Amino acid sequence: MIGARLVRVEDERFLRGEGRFVADISLPFMTEAFVLRSPHAHARISRIDIGPALALDGVQAVVTAADLPARLPPIPCRIPTHGNMEPFLQPVLCRDVARYVGEPVAVVVASNRAMAEDGAERIAIDWQPLPAVADAIAGLKPDAPAVHDAGNVASRWGFDLGNVETALSEAAVTVRQTFGIQRHTAMPLETRGLLAVYDGARRMLEVHGPTKVPHTNHALLARMLQVSTAEIRFIEPDVGGSFGARGEFYPEDFLIPWLALRLRKPVRWIEDRLEHFAAINHSRESRFEVTAAADAEGRLTAFDVKLVADLGAYIRTHGDVVPSHAAASFPGPYRVRNYRVAAVAALSNKTPSGTVRAPGMFEANFARERAVDMLADKLGIDPAEIRRRNLIRREEMPWRVGTESVRRPIIFDSGDFSFVFERAVSEFDRTALPRSASGTIRRGRGICALVEPSAFGAFESARVEVDGEGFVHVVTGATSQGQGHETSLAQVAAAVLEVPIDRIRVRHGDTGLIRFGGGTYASRAAVMAGNAVHAAAVAVKAKALRTAAQKLEVAEEDVRLADGRFELAGTPEVNITFAAIARLLAPGNAELLQSPTVANIADNDGLTASCHIRGVPSGTSVFAVHLAEVAVDVETGQVAVERYLVAADVGRAINPRIVEGQLIGGVVQGLGGTLLEEIVYDAEGQLQTGTFADYLLPSVHDAPAITAMVIEHALSPSNPLGVKGVGEVGTSGAAAAIGNAVARALGVPAAINALPLTPERVIAATCAGPVP
Amino acid sequence: MKPAPFDYAAPRTLDEAIDLLGRHGEDARPLAGGQSLMPMLALRLSRPSLLVDLNRVESLSGIRIDDDELRIGAMTRQAEALESAEIRRHVPLLAQALAEVGHPPTRARGTIGGSLAHADPAAELPAVIVALGAKLVIRGATGERVLRAEEFFRGMFETDVKAGELLVEIRIPIQAQGSAFLEIALRKGDFAIVSVAASIALGPDQRCVAATLVLGGVGPMPVRCADSERRLIGHTPDAAAISAAAEAIPIDRVELGSRSASRGYRRRVAPVLVKRALAAAAGAAGAAP
Amino acid sequence: MKLFSVTLVVNGRAVTLRVEARQSLADALRGELGLTGTHLGCEHGVCGACTVLLDGEPVRGCLLLAVQTEGTEVTTIEGISPPAGLNELQESFRRHHALQCGYCTPGMVLSLHALLARDPTADEEAIREAISGNLCRCTGYLPILQAALHVAQSNRLKRADTSSTQSSA
Repeated sequence: MIGARLVRVEDERFLRGEGRFVADISLPFMTEAFVLRSPHAHARISRIDIGPALALDGVQAVVTAADLPARLPPIPCRIPTHGNMEPFLQPVLCRDVARYVGEPVAVVVASNRAMAEDGAERIAIDWQPLPAVADAIAGLKPDAPAVHDAGNVASRWGFDLGNVETALSEAAVTVRQTFGIQRHTAMPLETRGLLAVYDGARRMLEVHGPTKVPHTNHALLARMLQVSTAEIRFIEPDVGGSFGARGEFYPEDFLIPWLALRLRKPVRWIEDRLEHFAAINHSRESRFEVTAAADAEGRLTAFDVKLVADLGAYIRTHGDVVPSHAAASFPGPYRVRNYRVAAVAALSNKTPSGTVRAPGMFEANFARERAVDMLADKLGIDPAEIRRRNLIRREEMPWRVGTESVRRPIIFDSGDFSFVFERAVSEFDRTALPRSASGTIRRGRGICALVEPSAFGAFESARVEVDGEGFVHVVTGATSQGQGHETSLAQVAAAVLEVPIDRIRVRHGDTGLIRFGGGTYASRAAVMAGNAVHAAAVAVKAKALRTAAQKLEVAEEDVRLADGRFELAGTPEVNITFAAIARLLAPGNAELLQSPTVANIADNDGLTASCHIRGVPSGTSVFAVHLAEVAVDVETGQVAVERYLVAADVGRAINPRIVEGQLIGGVVQGLGGTLLEEIVYDAEGQLQTGTFADYLLPSVHDAPAITAMVIEHALSPSNPLGVKGVGEVGTSGAAAAIGNAVARALGVPAAINALPLTPERVIAATCAGPVP
Repeated sequence: MKPAPFDYAAPRTLDEAIDLLGRHGEDARPLAGGQSLMPMLALRLSRPSLLVDLNRVESLSGIRIDDDELRIGAMTRQAEALESAEIRRHVPLLAQALAEVGHPPTRARGTIGGSLAHADPAAELPAVIVALGAKLVIRGATGERVLRAEEFFRGMFETDVKAGELLVEIRIPIQAQGSAFLEIALRKGDFAIVSVAASIALGPDQRCVAATLVLGGVGPMPVRCADSERRLIGHTPDAAAISAAAEAIPIDRVELGSRSASRGYRRRVAPVLVKRALAAAAGAAGAAP
Repeated sequence: MKLFSVTLVVNGRAVTLRVEARQSLADALRGELGLTGTHLGCEHGVCGACTVLLDGEPVRGCLLLAVQTEGTEVTTIEGISPPAGLNELQESFRRHHALQCGYCTPGMVLSLHALLARDPTADEEAIREAISGNLCRCTGYLPILQAALHVAQSNRLKRADTSSTQSSA
């Protein structure tokens, strides 16, 4: 069952239109909320008049910061950071000063959404605009306006490994280049949304809509509301994509449940796309100044990096993790021991920045792999060859980079990089198309090698239970935003318990069903939840076997599991089904009990087992190779990606079909970030891209032919299944591979250094010509 | 993103529609295919008190040939026009451009007249309608007037249609000529960064007897390249003639720029696209390769 | 608040809605009729998640007012789904892993359903054009193309079967 290309169990409901997303849920007497947001990048509020809004028919409540509970803390940062983030945290509603376009100022609750918007138009606010920092790099200058009293730098840190200065001075060649990665973000097709309802009789606040890390946010909401966690239940509905951006504790995550509690009515907030552009965490905006060195044989000898990341107006839940990952993992899959990085997490008057699929890695891979290609060009070595000469070797595993991110060491747990590399390159060569330059079209091929650290986080939970009808219930703290965990986790349970997949029900993301949970981020669900389910299923099987032996009055070692029942080896007619064992173990079933004692009552809790598996601090590491072939029109600068291959060593694929889907989908998302997507602000910090007409997602016409090679070679030693997290690998290397391909097509090794590669940038690069 | 409140009327006849629009003046907006107006309503950028829905006025739809003119009712759907055999045969330039307008579901509702009346500088149809030398029929309470396409567009999102008036018909002269429509967009189906509508008619001696060249997406209104057209007339449309025509486009009228495509970029690629479009039009006109 | 009464056929059944003029068809289908398979992704006509069939043609449900649909026939994803299980196109989506989060899926299926009704043996170019206005953020589109091509291919085979049966008869 593990390794089977099963079709997904969740598909039928989605294909029939029966998926249940948060906006599909409505309750009697439900109200709808609209969040009024700052239209200014930086402005002081001198007065808010909510009177005219409240007077409007249908408006039921309007709240501003003045209405918030006294001593309500700002939204905390939940992971280790490189500095003290307290001065930069975001309040759930801005009180005096708004620091980005889109910062929540007030919430209007009305009978329906249209009325709430009508009401919001009648809120009068006196704004006193302040000078804004529209660009974090400009914001580092001494005379720049201050985003916060504590300044515009949230944190600074670095690493200095080996001896970079010596390596640079002794290098045969060095290259130096600045790479810019634009602000863009996850942009799932479903916006965010919440529905909160308070049942005063049960003292229960139910919140529909949280996802990614519901247990974490559940605990945080309880703390902010100062109520027991037992009085709040978070329920994850179907979720229309996340790609990293749904995991923060957003202001609305407090505001909507708090309003439901305050108004004693169901309150639903469904973000619209316009809000989403200003409200969802942005990501990726950063600048890398890279110096890379190699010896005459093409051995990489040093990377020296200065990194500035623009984190927007506040430090939110994810702290400075994005540049932290980039700084810690910059050296990538290469045997480079001289590495120095100086990183700055800077602030600006823009939407706060957080994680998006391959956070920090998409950026770092682009900068590093472009620099490696520049070295190859200077040395006259083929791009594949220079990488080949520098890959970390199998016998060097586990490889300690020597850096850490969010206080976790970067260690590559296993890998046979050369094996994967050669397979990828030869497959791409084998399937090459007989096409070359023609007319104004130039073709080029680009390559990227990378390691994606994944499966971080302290733990994950699972409970596996067999009921009296023989159905298997799997409950996990991990969540699903479309990845297919209901199928892959069922496959893990089915593999252990040998029951058909249609007898298994997977439930997730519900704090009412399981007390603890980690969630889905950092490509961790298959690794963490997969192994938690595996361990719980193994425990259930052991318990069932023990019970079967007892019931059949035979020795445990003589009992076999086959076809969903336990039978005496050699005498299959002596058997007992899973369902019968579950009934035997049901509380209250006296059959197997001896005289009622405390000891045997404790064991009589059903055929169930829980597991809370602990994470390995450094997670798992996936080695991947991206290869892209592009056609560039040198007269117009238009780039078409014609062919793409991504190969990844995933350790073990629970469901190869799902893994391929992650890789292919990830590539197209990365292609969007390479060629099309950019969140643009003007010099005053006004958001310029507020609709899908301005922010361009790849369409079907942009999707190239993609080969996904799922390689199961180097098992992860960190977990019994040997799986590695694969969700981000497809995105991670796209800019690097496509960027290198475009540079090669044009014969301008140094000129492709800023994303996205718009036709205009490509034209500018063609003018740059070869580097001297 | 819910619209501000408005009232709604769905007249069945053109007279009723014009009467309603006339009575409500600036407060009323005609609703054609809704592919541009509806987003503006949802964003509350447009706030009419009354929407006059033209979709029930049957007389506003249809494609017919009248003498040497092709007449298209303003409410004719873009999808219908794209599939029309008459349009393909008699004004292929329009069919070529329509293929670049949006996507099947937007063309299923979007209308020819609606796109023209919206006058988005990045839209395809305004440039094409100028290139085709079309006439636009505008009806108001006091009667009908006919404008040349170049008189119709007054600025960015601005036409000569006054409050209370409606664009009711587009009349396109039928001419035997080769044509081409090319554009650069960041994605297929998007509005153009630069678009070029070109047509060429050849005499028996393979020399140009007529040429039209119009740029879209570069200025507030379509830009007619009269000098380029003149340079082609009387010449064989070979590479040299086409280059000369491309050099003569009024480059200072390439005014628009955006973050993803600056004015400088548009000025650089406009001649490239012009050359390609003219070559394609010449080929379609039967010029020797 | 002025309400308009609109009578139309939705998924084969006549319904009468009472709606505000400003209410979109998508909102009315979801809010008044509980047909929540029609999803809202952008409400400005770009993403295609709200695609429904209006008299058989795919249109944006967010760019049409409910009051405009008097006398029309509207078909949603619920309307093309069999009473249980999946139709051929839906099944092909499942077989080809042509969906992940499922949010764009109803719009994709309806756009392709309309294409294949008109052109049962559509080629890849026609399929790409048919879904060019439907954004998907998960799949990278290729599995969706494969799912639709598979149905077109199977229609081609059926047609070949039928014609060979006819010619032999």
